[in-house]
Amino acid sequence: MAMTYQEFPGVEWVEGAGDYIKVDAEKCSGCANCVRVCLAQCFKIAGKKAVVDNLDRCMECGACWYVCAPDAIRFSWPPGGTGFRTLWG
Amino acid sequence: MPSFLFDRKAKIQPHVQREGVRAMATTPKTDYDVIVVGAGFGGPVAARKCARAGLDTLMLERSDVPGEKVVSGLVIPIYGFLYGPEFIRKGNPPIERPICSVVNRLVKGGRIVKTDRSLRMPRPFTLGYAAYCKPFCTWLADRATKAGAELRTRTAAVDVIMEDGEVVGVVTDRGEELRARVVIDAGGTQNPLAIKAGIRRKYPPEAIELYMLWDYEMPKRDVDEVFGHSMEFFHAYPEEGIGAPLGYGSTFYIFTYRDSIHPGLGQFLVTEGEIPNLAKLIPQYQENFTARVERWKRDIAPRTRLRAVMWDVCPIYAGLIPSAREMPIYTGGMIVTGDAAGFEASAFGDGVPNAWFSAEIAGETAVEAVRAGDASASFLARYEERVRAHPFIIKTISDRRRWDMRELLAGRDEAEFARKVRDHWGIGAFRYGNMGGPVLKASAKALRESPLVALEWIEMFRRYFDNWERNRFDPLSGTRRGLTPVPQARGEA
Ligand SMILES: Cc1cc2nc3c(=O)[nH]c(=O)nc-3n(C[C@H](O)[C@H](O)[C@H](O)COP(=O)(O)OP(=O)(O)OC[C@H]3O[C@@H](n4cnc5c(N)ncnc54)[C@H](O)[C@@H]3O)c2cc1C
Ligand code: SF4
Ligand code: SF4
Repeated sequence: MAMTYQEFPGVEWVEGAGDYIKVDAEKCSGCANCVRVCLAQCFKIAGKKAVVDNLDRCMECGACWYVCAPDAIRFSWPPGGTGFRTLWG
Repeated sequence: MPSFLFDRKAKIQPHVQREGVRAMATTPKTDYDVIVVGAGFGGPVAARKCARAGLDTLMLERSDVPGEKVVSGLVIPIYGFLYGPEFIRKGNPPIERPICSVVNRLVKGGRIVKTDRSLRMPRPFTLGYAAYCKPFCTWLADRATKAGAELRTRTAAVDVIMEDGEVVGVVTDRGEELRARVVIDAGGTQNPLAIKAGIRRKYPPEAIELYMLWDYEMPKRDVDEVFGHSMEFFHAYPEEGIGAPLGYGSTFYIFTYRDSIHPGLGQFLVTEGEIPNLAKLIPQYQENFTARVERWKRDIAPRTRLRAVMWDVCPIYAGLIPSAREMPIYTGGMIVTGDAAGFEASAFGDGVPNAWFSAEIAGETAVEAVRAGDASASFLARYEERVRAHPFIIKTISDRRRWDMRELLAGRDEAEFARKVRDHWGIGAFRYGNMGGPVLKASAKALRESPLVALEWIEMFRRYFDNWERNRFDPLSGTRRGLTPVPQARGEA
């Protein structure tokens, strides 16, 4: 099954991706850089730490991971065949 | 209106264990000469080279259809076609539009105050070809499988197998251990695999540009009338609010396709020393552009309908930032190519030609390594030597033209702005020190190797144009859903 979202037409998200992006609360400085660069609003700050709110519209770009100086974000690929796919990419 | 033809019978090896399908009776193969990770733009070029040399070659691709996770639609510059793999030149890949000219617009107060059309070619000669990634990468992957390489889609390589400090295989997301004499990483920018192998680290954010793209349907006759065979860049000072500060991003551009246009813009993850609020800024630039720029409002918008929005990152300044440039591109048993190796051209952000060049070199090196029975780091060092000797790779990744646009931020010298635009995106792109030198060097080399290549080039220009006009390309292998990206109903598909 695949989901689509009105604000991001032409892209589908195939279920089964799981939590392939994680925040290590111990390492997180709460700088909110991840929040600032994520075009899908996947992160939020709760109790001065970033948490992954949801990866529903994540396009697996890794921008959050690049800007995380303390390496608090663990970034990996979702299982093959899951996650986003573009129809017009 | 499918813009390419399908051949559902063409062979793509089904990947070995689809979920929901009972495990096959035969044990899947786990040992190869070469494993290529990624069937994007570079991977299939390397795989084809190895397969044609008779090596047992496997391509792993995490997406279902090659190219559907490669964001996003592009214009592949002509130097990739002329000096890259011969099979691409001689083939009929699915292109969206021959691009004969680059039109540079200077925007002030929403109006176009200057237009530079100095960079153009008479048809059938071109500056490049527009393409969607999914059909183009599928075409490339088909060429590799036709040469005998195996393709397993929906399979992510998640780790490397190391023995005595050398890479001897990969582990897939289903836990399979696949062994190979040489692993070629063509996995694109984020490259967690080469990081796992200890060859590379994540790129510093200064090197990374975040691009957002919008795909619009536009009837072909309108694209023909409004753009013809050109693509456009819109340059402006930051106060226009239609793009990143100069030198810290790509200006708003419009790629033109058969019956659609594919605008985009980007900004670096570090801009003027800070991590900007790109989640807010990038959509705002696009909103401002579409609300303010007259050309868009008058000539373009009324004829278009938005059909896709997407984004991805690109390691555009990897060749300019020492900590990124100095990362190794091979180790014992493993070679890194394309975006994973930081081979994005820093002036325009074109990475496909370098992905092709480096994949060809990687394939050639892997063939020699397998034949010699030696995939040690000292043997694979020839990969780096060849990359360094290549006329385009190092030259294009260390091109400072875009970076130097930053100098314009301090002064408000409009004549200097126009001059820089012309020198960078206009006819000056062909100056000896810019692209002219590498082009002469590459042409001389190609002609030395085969004087007939000039005829091959002319034939390619003609045939590509003709293919486009007749809308006929090589058939593409299909998948369950077929390759035409059919617009889906909103909600659950
Ligand atoms: C927005 C944008 C616009 C661009 N525009 C242009 C342009 O106009 N012209 C141009 O020449 N270049 C352009 N580029 C750059 C170009 O797309 C890249 O340089 C090129 O795709 C690099 O090729 P590659 O083979 O290295 O990687 P990719 O083409 O990115 O291919 C990587 C492949 O590997 C797969 N993969 C990754 N990791 C794994 C894994 N662990 N296991 C299995 N599969 C994996 C991916 O799904 C993907 O299919 C653009 C890039 C972006 C982001
Ligand atoms: S960027 Fe990293 S350190 Fe900063 S808030 Fe996000 S997870 Fe925490
Ligand atoms: S990978 Fe990209 S889209 Fe996904 S959470 Fe990170 S920044 Fe957001």
